[in-house]
Amino acid sequence: MAARGKIKKTFTDPIGKNNPVFAQILGICSTLAVTNKLENTVIMSLGVIFTTTLSGVTISALRKFIPSRVRMMAETLIIASFVIIVDITLRAYMPDVWKQLGPYVGLIITNCIIMGRAEAFALNNSAGLSLIDGLSSGIGYAYVLIVIAFFRELLGTGELWGITILGDWWTNWAIMVMPPGAFFMLAIFVWVVKGVIIKEEEETAK
Amino acid sequence: MKQERMFSTRVYPVLFMVALTVVFISVVSGIYLTTKDRVLLNESIFQKKAVLYAAGIEFPEDDSPKIQQIYEERVTEVDGDGDQPDYFRIELPSGQTGYAVYVRGAGLWGEIVSIFGFNPDLSTFTGVEFVEQNETPGLGARITEQWYKEQFRGKSGPFELVEEGTSDAPGELDAITGASRTSEAVLKIANKAAEVAKAKVEEGDE
Amino acid sequence: MSESAYPIAIFFAAIFTNNILLSNYLGMCSFLSVSRELKTSLGLGVAVIFVMTSTSMLNWVVYYKILQPLGLEYLRFIVFIIVIAAFVQLVEMIIERVSEVLYAALGIFLPLITVNCAILGVSLFMVIREYSFVESITFGLGSGIGWFLAIMAMAGIRQKLKRARIPHGLEGAGITLIITGMMALAFMGFSGMLQIN
Repeated sequence: MAARGKIKKTFTDPIGKNNPVFAQILGICSTLAVTNKLENTVIMSLGVIFTTTLSGVTISALRKFIPSRVRMMAETLIIASFVIIVDITLRAYMPDVWKQLGPYVGLIITNCIIMGRAEAFALNNSAGLSLIDGLSSGIGYAYVLIVIAFFRELLGTGELWGITILGDWWTNWAIMVMPPGAFFMLAIFVWVVKGVIIKEEEETAK
Repeated sequence: MKQERMFSTRVYPVLFMVALTVVFISVVSGIYLTTKDRVLLNESIFQKKAVLYAAGIEFPEDDSPKIQQIYEERVTEVDGDGDQPDYFRIELPSGQTGYAVYVRGAGLWGEIVSIFGFNPDLSTFTGVEFVEQNETPGLGARITEQWYKEQFRGKSGPFELVEEGTSDAPGELDAITGASRTSEAVLKIANKAAEVAKAKVEEGDE
Repeated sequence: MSESAYPIAIFFAAIFTNNILLSNYLGMCSFLSVSRELKTSLGLGVAVIFVMTSTSMLNWVVYYKILQPLGLEYLRFIVFIIVIAAFVQLVEMIIERVSEVLYAALGIFLPLITVNCAILGVSLFMVIREYSFVESITFGLGSGIGWFLAIMAMAGIRQKLKRARIPHGLEGAGITLIITGMMALAFMGFSGMLQIN
C-alpha cells in the first residue's frame, strides 16, 4: 500500500509540483537553446530522458559501493558516458539533427537536472524508484520544452517540425527564434504555471 | 585495524574509480566502434548529395545505394593535392558538362564551406549546398533551408542583397531577416565563387 | 583550423555580439540563483573568467595533442569535464594554501563552477569551431568577461528590484528571465560592431 503510494508520488512529483524546469529552475541552458525548433527539442528531450533514467538507475544500483570521496567524479563519469552514447548514436543515425544540436548534446552532462536528481534521489533510493524518478524528471523536462518550442517555432517561422502551418499571411515574429524570445517565452511559461499553482494554494487555504 | 582503514579510505576509492572508468569507457568505445563505419558512410553520402544538389541533379533523399549510383554515373572527381577533390566534372541533366567546386569563406562564427555548381560557362549557378557552417541556429543557419538555397539556381553574379522574399533580377539575393552578418558573408562567397571555379578548372586542365 | 576568424574579433564577439549567456544561454543556473547578491556575483564572475580561460587553453592542448592523434575525439566529453574538475580542485587546493583572503573570497565558488555549463560549453564550442590555440584563449577570456558582465548587470538590476512591486507569479525566476531577455535584446544592438573580411 505504502509502496504503491510512493511509486505514484515518485512519478508525479517531477512532472508537476517539483518540475525540474519551472519549479526547481534547472536545465535552463538547453531549454532556451533548443526550443527554437520542435524537432530538435523532441530529440534533445529523448536524449535527456535516456540519460537521466539510465544514469539514475546506475548510480542508484552502485550507491552502496561509491566512496563518498569520489562521489561527484563517479557520478560525472557515469553521466558523461551515457551522454557520449547519445552523441554517438545521434551522429550515426540522425546526422542532420546531430549537426543542429551541436554542443548542446554534450551539455546534457552539465544539465543540472541529471546531477541534481542523482544527488537528491538516486543516492538514497532503490534502483526501481530511481528509474521512475529519472523517467518522470525527463518527462517533466520534455513537456515544458515541447510547449515552449511549439510556440517559438510556430510564431517565429510559421512552421512546425519544418512543415509550414501558417500561410503567407503570417509575418514571422523573428524575435521568437532569437535569444530574447526564448527568455520571454520561458518567463511567461513560469508565470502561467506559478499563477495556477498559487491559485490552487489559495483555494485549498480557504 | 589500521590497514583496513587505510584500504577503505585510500586504496578502495582509487580502485573503484579505475574499475568504473574501465567499464564505462569500454562500453562507450564499443558502441563507438560499431557505429564508426556508419558515420563515415553518412559523411560520404552527405558530400555526394551536396554535389548532386548543387548540380541540380535529382536524387531520392533516403536511398543511399541509389544516390551512390547516380553519383558514380554523373560525377567525375578531379583530384588535386588536398584531401578533397579539386573540382567536380558533372554530366548535367541537359547533357552538357557542368562543374562544381568547394568555395570557402568567413562566416559570422567560423568558416562556411559551400559547394557551388556551375553551367559549362562557369559563371551561371546550377545551385549551391552548404556543407559546413556554424551560424546561429534559427537565423544564420537558415542558409541551409530549401528556400534559401533554391534562389541560387540559374543566377550569375555580381550579386547584391535585397530584403528577404523580394529578389527578382538574376543579380539579387535574398538576405535572411535577422541574420545580416551571415547573409553578407554568403554574399561575399557567392561573389567570388565563379572566380574560384574558373581558377580550379583551368588549373586542372594544365 | 579556421582561417576566417581573428582572435581579436572573437574576443569582442564573445563579450558583446555573441555573449555566452545572452546569446548562447550557457551558465544560466548559477546566473539565476547567484545574481541575487552583488558581492557573490562579483566573486563568482571573477572565478568564472579565470577558470574559463584556463580550461579553454588546457582542453585545447588535450584535444589537439592527445585525443586527436589517438583518434579518441569521441571521448572528449568525459575528458574535458575531468580536466575541468581536476583543474578546479587543484586551484582550490592552491588558493587554500597560498592565500586565506583569496580563498575566503573565491574559494567557495569553485565547486559551483565545475558544473557550470558555460565552462564545458566554451571548450565544446572551441572544438566545433576549430579554433587555434590563440583563438581559444581569446574566446575563453572573452566568454568569461561576457558572462561576468551579464551577471554583474543582473545583480545590479536586482538590487533595484528589491523596492519594486512584482506580480506574485513572476517573483524570482520569472522576472529574472524577463530582464535577461531584455538584456539580450539590448546586446543585440551590438551586432553591427564587427566587420568580417
